[in-house]
Amino acid sequence: MSIVSTADFFKGMFVIYKNEPHQIVEFQHVNPGKGSAFVRTKLKALKTGKVQEFTYKAGDTVEELPVETHEMQYLYPEENAFVFMDNYSYEQASVSKNLIGDFVKYLKTNDTYQVLLHEGDAVGIRIPKKVRLRVTEAEEGARGNTVVGGTKTVVVETGARVTVPLFIKEGEMIAVDPATGSYVERA
Amino acid sequence: MCAGTGLVSRSLIREKIRDCEIFSTKSRLNSRLFLFVCYNTNMKTWEKLKHDPRLWGRYALREQVLREIRMFFYKKNYHEVETPILIGHPPAESYLDVFETTLLDRRKNPKNMYLSTSPEVALKKCMVAGIGNCFSLTKSFRNTEVGDRLHNPEFTLLEWYRVGATYIDIMKECEVLILDVLERVIPAVKASKTIQYGKEKINLTSPWKRLSVQEAFQVFANVDLNEFFDIRKARVIAKKKGYTVADANTWEELFNQVFLNEVEPHIEKNRPVFLYDFPKAVGALAKTKTDDPRFVERFELYIGGLELADCYTELTDWKEQKERFEKELLEIKRLGKTPYSYDEDFIEALKAGLPASSGIAMGIDRLLMLLTNTNNVADTLLFPIDELV
Repeated sequence: MSIVSTADFFKGMFVIYKNEPHQIVEFQHVNPGKGSAFVRTKLKALKTGKVQEFTYKAGDTVEELPVETHEMQYLYPEENAFVFMDNYSYEQASVSKNLIGDFVKYLKTNDTYQVLLHEGDAVGIRIPKKVRLRVTEAEEGARGNTVVGGTKTVVVETGARVTVPLFIKEGEMIAVDPATGSYVERA
Repeated sequence: MCAGTGLVSRSLIREKIRDCEIFSTKSRLNSRLFLFVCYNTNMKTWEKLKHDPRLWGRYALREQVLREIRMFFYKKNYHEVETPILIGHPPAESYLDVFETTLLDRRKNPKNMYLSTSPEVALKKCMVAGIGNCFSLTKSFRNTEVGDRLHNPEFTLLEWYRVGATYIDIMKECEVLILDVLERVIPAVKASKTIQYGKEKINLTSPWKRLSVQEAFQVFANVDLNEFFDIRKARVIAKKKGYTVADANTWEELFNQVFLNEVEPHIEKNRPVFLYDFPKAVGALAKTKTDDPRFVERFELYIGGLELADCYTELTDWKEQKERFEKELLEIKRLGKTPYSYDEDFIEALKAGLPASSGIAMGIDRLLMLLTNTNNVADTLLFPIDELV
């Protein structure tokens, strides 16, 4: 375990908070009126998925959790978790639903993801910058319709709804930014 | 197109559009190009406005607010002062980072200059000179204040000073000003006395709630400030609460950590709250309370969770001011921030005699967040910093 200062914080980092493993899901620097610097964080408890706020003094130290990354294939959902498998060792890992968060709606069977493990326990997956998904339901876009804001909503193979330009057709592959849920490009 | 970062390169967009092969004439390129930019979140404000003219509403409100604020003070015979933005000596305030620049004379001899962090010192010099009640509605600059929803390093600050007034008088005037501006620019407020901000319906009925820092600590954090003032006890209390306490931590840090974690989040959001009487360690330019020297006469105004204004009865004692500045300069050095020499001319002005007065600073961009019901200060600006760098 290594000790890090608030200056080394980054989004997605795993730390110990109140003796429990947490992930930093958000942080920002704050200066209260007439005061020194602080770092306001949102911490997600790995065991419960509960998110809470904590404000550190700038320069406070925390323990960083060592996390290993394993490339694993997503197999199937369980009641409150998702099962992944390492294609070399055939080891399986189950990642609880609340640790994947909003990304759930883009999770695609048989795709490979970076699963994060701490002491053998899966603590989350690395969210990719974009995901490639097939459009399964799309209305016919009116050709030449140049009305400002010409967009439509389509359904992709994982069930998520995405707002896309009118020219996207059913069966096409598109890239989506999971952080914002927005259309990036044809893929 | 750099996916993930959300940044868009125009040449790449053009390339993508060519790929799409859904138009042929050059004249259609611009509208298509424009549409394509719409799919990305990083549209510039002018592009968003061109795309959706309804957004002008926010900026129309900004114009009206600036006009109504000026009208409010003109009617009360306040002088409007154009304070300098380019200055040689900022007031020493260790919690702020300044912008540094270089002034060259005709022979190109350099001199360090700074962008003003607030119009305070200039206004006080005018008060010493005898201007009377005055205000300034100006741009101020604070470095490093980027990357969050409440700050823009260049921002619009209103400061006003009233001769013979205490911070309690300013509390009332501040309430009257905000209500006056709100009712004039959003007529519905006049009848309903409420404003919607996010999930909160804020009740603006006078008089607004006043809560002392001491009460707030007791109620929200279960901390008795009488005990907490003793740094040894403060360390014990902070440790017991689970905070990391290092030897180097100052009392102000312990105080503010409890404040930020346990007090500020609980300040009521459904009505305006004046939080008043702050410990001396967090009131660099405020007058000490006569009946309790552990506190200074200072208040902050919170509306809907936004800290909108900061006021104090002004410190007029030049010796104390000089001591505080020197202490702040040491702190600036310790923190490794941009060093500068403090404004000695200001100490000279105080020696000449600043009339007993109170002053307040109000963040106009945040006031506009409240009025336009937006969650990010960037949404109130035509040219937020992210679009300029």
